Amino acid sequence: MNPVNPVNSGSSGSSGNGGGVVRTAFAAAGPAPGADADPITTEIVRQGLNAAADHMKRALTRTAFSPIIYEALDFAVAFYDTDMCMLAQAPTLPAFMGTLGFCVRAAVEGVGGPGSLAPGDVILYNDPYGTGSHPQDAAMVVPVFAGGELTAYSVIKAHWLDIGGKDPYSTDTLDVYQEGTIFPGVKLYDAGRLVGDIYRMILANSRMADMVIGDINAMVAGARAGGEALAAIVDRYGKAEFTACVARMYAHGEALVRDWFAALPDGVYTASGAIDSDGVSGVPVPFSVKVTVEGTRIEVDLTDCPDQTPGPINCPLPSTVAACRLAVAFLAGAGEQPNEGHFRPLDVLTRPGSLFHPRRPAPCFMYGIPADHAIELVLAALAEAVPDVPAASGGDINALVWWGEREATGTPWTDGAPHPVGQGASPRGDGAGALMYLSQSATRLTPAEVWEARNPWRIERMALAEDSGGPGTHRGGPGLDLSFRCLEDHYLTSALARTRTAPWGRAGGHAGRPGGLTVEHPDGTVEEHALRTRIPLAKDAVVHLRTGSGGGFGPPSGRDPQAVQADLREGYITEEHARRHYPHAL
Amino acid sequence: MPYDGDLPRTPPGRGGTGDGPRAARRRDRPGVSTPRVRSGAMTTIGVDVGGTFTDLVSRDTDTGQITVAKRPTTPAAPELGVLAAVDAAVPPESLARCAYFVHGTTVGLNALLERRGATVGLITTEGFRDVLEIRRGDRDDPYDLFWTPPPPLVPRRLRREVAERVAADGTVVRELDPEGVRRAAAVFAAEGVDAVAVVLINAYANAAHERAVPAALRDAGFAGEVSLSHEVSGEYREYERTTTTVVDAFVRHRMGPYLRNLDRGLRARGFTGRLLVTRSGGGALTLEEAAARPFETILSGPVAGAAATARLASSLGRSTAIAADVGGTSFDTALIEDGVLPLLFQGEVGGLPLQSPWVDVRSVGAGGGSVAYVDAGGLLRVGPRSAGAVPGPACYGRGGTEPTVTDAALHLGLIPPGPLAGGIDLDRDLATAALAPLAAPCGLPGADAVAEGVMRIAAAHMAHAVRGVTVERGVDPRRAVLVAFGGAGPLFGCLLAGELGASAVVVPANAGTFSAVGLVQADLVRGAARTLVRPLTDAALAEALTLAGALFTRLFTRLAGRGGGGEPADAVREIDLDLRHLGQEHTLAVRVEPGDTAGGVRARFTARYRRAYGHDMPGPLEIVTVRATVRAGLPGGPAPLPAPAAAGAPGERRDIDLWSFHRKRFVPSRAVPRAALTQATPGPLVVVEPTSTTYVDAGFTVAPHECGTLLVTREEKTL
Repeated sequence: MNPVNPVNSGSSGSSGNGGGVVRTAFAAAGPAPGADADPITTEIVRQGLNAAADHMKRALTRTAFSPIIYEALDFAVAFYDTDMCMLAQAPTLPAFMGTLGFCVRAAVEGVGGPGSLAPGDVILYNDPYGTGSHPQDAAMVVPVFAGGELTAYSVIKAHWLDIGGKDPYSTDTLDVYQEGTIFPGVKLYDAGRLVGDIYRMILANSRMADMVIGDINAMVAGARAGGEALAAIVDRYGKAEFTACVARMYAHGEALVRDWFAALPDGVYTASGAIDSDGVSGVPVPFSVKVTVEGTRIEVDLTDCPDQTPGPINCPLPSTVAACRLAVAFLAGAGEQPNEGHFRPLDVLTRPGSLFHPRRPAPCFMYGIPADHAIELVLAALAEAVPDVPAASGGDINALVWWGEREATGTPWTDGAPHPVGQGASPRGDGAGALMYLSQSATRLTPAEVWEARNPWRIERMALAEDSGGPGTHRGGPGLDLSFRCLEDHYLTSALARTRTAPWGRAGGHAGRPGGLTVEHPDGTVEEHALRTRIPLAKDAVVHLRTGSGGGFGPPSGRDPQAVQADLREGYITEEHARRHYPHAL
Repeated sequence: MPYDGDLPRTPPGRGGTGDGPRAARRRDRPGVSTPRVRSGAMTTIGVDVGGTFTDLVSRDTDTGQITVAKRPTTPAAPELGVLAAVDAAVPPESLARCAYFVHGTTVGLNALLERRGATVGLITTEGFRDVLEIRRGDRDDPYDLFWTPPPPLVPRRLRREVAERVAADGTVVRELDPEGVRRAAAVFAAEGVDAVAVVLINAYANAAHERAVPAALRDAGFAGEVSLSHEVSGEYREYERTTTTVVDAFVRHRMGPYLRNLDRGLRARGFTGRLLVTRSGGGALTLEEAAARPFETILSGPVAGAAATARLASSLGRSTAIAADVGGTSFDTALIEDGVLPLLFQGEVGGLPLQSPWVDVRSVGAGGGSVAYVDAGGLLRVGPRSAGAVPGPACYGRGGTEPTVTDAALHLGLIPPGPLAGGIDLDRDLATAALAPLAAPCGLPGADAVAEGVMRIAAAHMAHAVRGVTVERGVDPRRAVLVAFGGAGPLFGCLLAGELGASAVVVPANAGTFSAVGLVQADLVRGAARTLVRPLTDAALAEALTLAGALFTRLFTRLAGRGGGGEPADAVREIDLDLRHLGQEHTLAVRVEPGDTAGGVRARFTARYRRAYGHDMPGPLEIVTVRATVRAGLPGGPAPLPAPAAAGAPGERRDIDLWSFHRKRFVPSRAVPRAALTQATPGPLVVVEPTSTTYVDAGFTVAPHECGTLLVTREEKTL
């Protein structure tokens, strides 16, 4: 069950500069283990693990302090076995799917290995090269003991509002040390006792210490609750039967995904794209993916990409692997909550020292941009083999992060969120109106009334953008137009990633609109931004966010005239748009 | 009107709502609390319309006698099914003596699920036309690439913006433009709009603009119903409040006529009492209130079972009970503590959030009709798909070939074969034939193992749901008593006890129709809420209590406007505050009393928080929402619980082969009629009665218990 090629994710040492290729593979060796486990108990254990993970998720969201956790659900909760294989993950941030194995391994190594763990320990870990994310994404790892024996780990990785770094949210860091304080695997609780020194280090390094402490309490409580639920399952069946059932559960997940790939025509499928900019040099960053389907296995090759960039769009290996897993899960996962078995048929090839396998101290704050783009390209490549694959969506999470001090009280505040995009049309029908991007698909948009009660804003517009969906036989989903009027001075970091490449159509469908951000300053100047850190906003500045729409599917001339008429009647498109793209329907 | 000032006083300690402090606060005004209905000559009738069956329970408050009946539901015109049940089970003289006819209905729910309601127009603030369609931007299934939200209840062309703006603190930023309302009215007239929902941004903080809209609509000639968001909900979150307001406008169109038809039908049969409708948040509303606020009744379906469990738990002196209701398609569970139903303040129907109080009953798709199958990866799975009533389980012999939970139970001997109520003949050979083909694909030896697996997997689903409702509230399920009811609930008692580590299961008499008992326990309840975001201080608490006072006044004014009187003599006022740590989003509701200090409220919050989440924190608290509730009891006091069927006809004990999960094999055993079970008897055996069968595994003992129940206990050595 060990990875064939375990990755030393915590260190920068590796082969030569930019040379060589690393294969990250998790295939099980030999005959499927656990075949003799009772299928009934296996199913009950599988359900129990998923239910326990859901319980951990609820415990966290109901006590968390920052909206980025309780509204945006910017976290993942999971259980791992002692071989660092994923037992279960609750439906949380898909972008974190399967990243936590790297993270738990590195966290445990950081404190001296499994032998150094005791009941009541909680390990804090946020090294970007082990978590796959930026330092804001911090993990709490709780070793789970059953019958006195280390049996598993429960882990929560969640976005902290601030843990130092040059700005609360940065699109222009030059190395990882500018991005936040790093905890390379330290015990926050030692055998149940809070380690005060670490706690004070956290407090001293956060602009939003009160909220971060609240979130830490929520994470610790959640990870412990999950650990107790997991221990109860192990206790009920005993370690031996539990282990056998888990082996069979992995084999089951693996079989589901392998069956799906077996049905695809073997072949090599490719797609290319370009990221707007690395946030520093301002020039597009092109790359391509090569997907090989061979029998029941799939390989994603991400070696055709630039060397690691000066700006922070480098994607550490755990998130590169997670992006590939996510693309596969969207296609082949049958809607199941995944476990390690679902990941086994997938190999990922990367090149150390490159965009998708950077080495310390490459900056990686905006790691999500290449990860999301890779998901889009894996889907685009497989579209040749899987006719159902939709046209491109808005393709970006459209993250905005705001902060300042309240005028009346001087209290520091910060808020940040992703925003929904139009979805690509597919052979099944029109793309949906604004939904969160795939990698954030469990995330929810914060209500305007909650925003206004909390932040110095007035939301002047929250609307579907007319004429924005890519024309086609099936139309792309519209993007979103959002306007924020600032009622006090503050700052904004804009992390828009897809303003230069329009969401592509498929099979003759036209492209949708790319995203964009306009700031109207009170002095009348108007600026366009994409990746920009710390934009000063004065009272009465208005920020207009336009999120990308979905591409169309099939030629517009094939669109049912009645559908065009309905779009006109409901105001999704204007007369002019209809004349231009759908003259046959008028 | 029930609230007309001379409602009979209810003795304290009713199940379902009664606890010490609340009962003690009930005002005692004997002078105005004389029952209006002739003493000793009264019945209360409860009718619950479910998806398959309409259950009726009738209670004579004088003799305490309870009658129950079951009739098929008539989905096309549910009132006909209700009246048929009345004709069949309630003699005319009894109906004439009926003071309260308590009705649980799915008419509103079905209108919503089937999207058959009014053509609704929406008026909203400029810039916010698409709130209903943008939703919260999330997916029901985060891993589904193709997920698309259900179409909005109001199409885009009928969502009209008006120029106006109120800020979050209630100040007016821009005055309402009545001309915009008139333009919207013209569109609505041209489009045949029946009802209008008005949802203006931040109306929870200042409703003046919303209040001005109906007059402008009338001026423009609109004559239909108008729903205002601040009257419907009063809480912030514009998507959720918009949905709730639109749902109100959408289903009102159907609920009003339905309830009035039913009322007329009852009166034509000699009924002179009050028609009440059960509420999603527990208790009941008058016909007029229910017709005016139908969204409050939409999630009332599973509440009756929880209310009945609360009543039984109180009678048995059990402080913590878990309702375990297994029906044809689902398992419904709720945690009852100290006789109180667990409340939440937002529900969801068909993917639409509703800002309305509702009893926290969790459902999972595991019931008698749940279908078992082997998935592509070779594991045995159960549900959530159900074989429904047609074709039903394979053993019904109505063409079903897929094995279900009922087939597994029949194969294992848990249900005796033979005729069932409703003319169905249970055929064990058909059940076995349906189960056997599943054995090879998942590597099991045969139909016995498949059937055992189906029951264990279904029980595990149920146990997860029970853990959800208990652990989230900081309760250890092992310390609670499980109350197993519904047609299939008593089959699962022992398996559930095993999964949960619980030591005792109680099976009420007439377990198959036990839910209906909850109907005749209902209090009259009405509530209002308003978002008021403030740090918790003594001054803010005073402000919250003043707001609660205004909400109470509004509740009674609203009622008086619908033909009711003022506050009834025995009404109990309850004030709850949704509180959280400053910075958090999720809240806990805490009861407050006039005279409370912020410190006292904080202590109560902290105790609840610690129990639910295992830790507590320093730092300021914040008030989010003020909730005002008024409740008054029905006459007659707590209803007696149904007794088992008369002991006169015990029927025969029969020898059967019965599966023991404990021993993992068939063992020779007995099927014992309920009336014949007079002393503690060790399993394995089954106890048979007309509407349900109780399965007692080896290692468990069953004994007749208080209140006509059976008590199933686990022997120590099997623990």
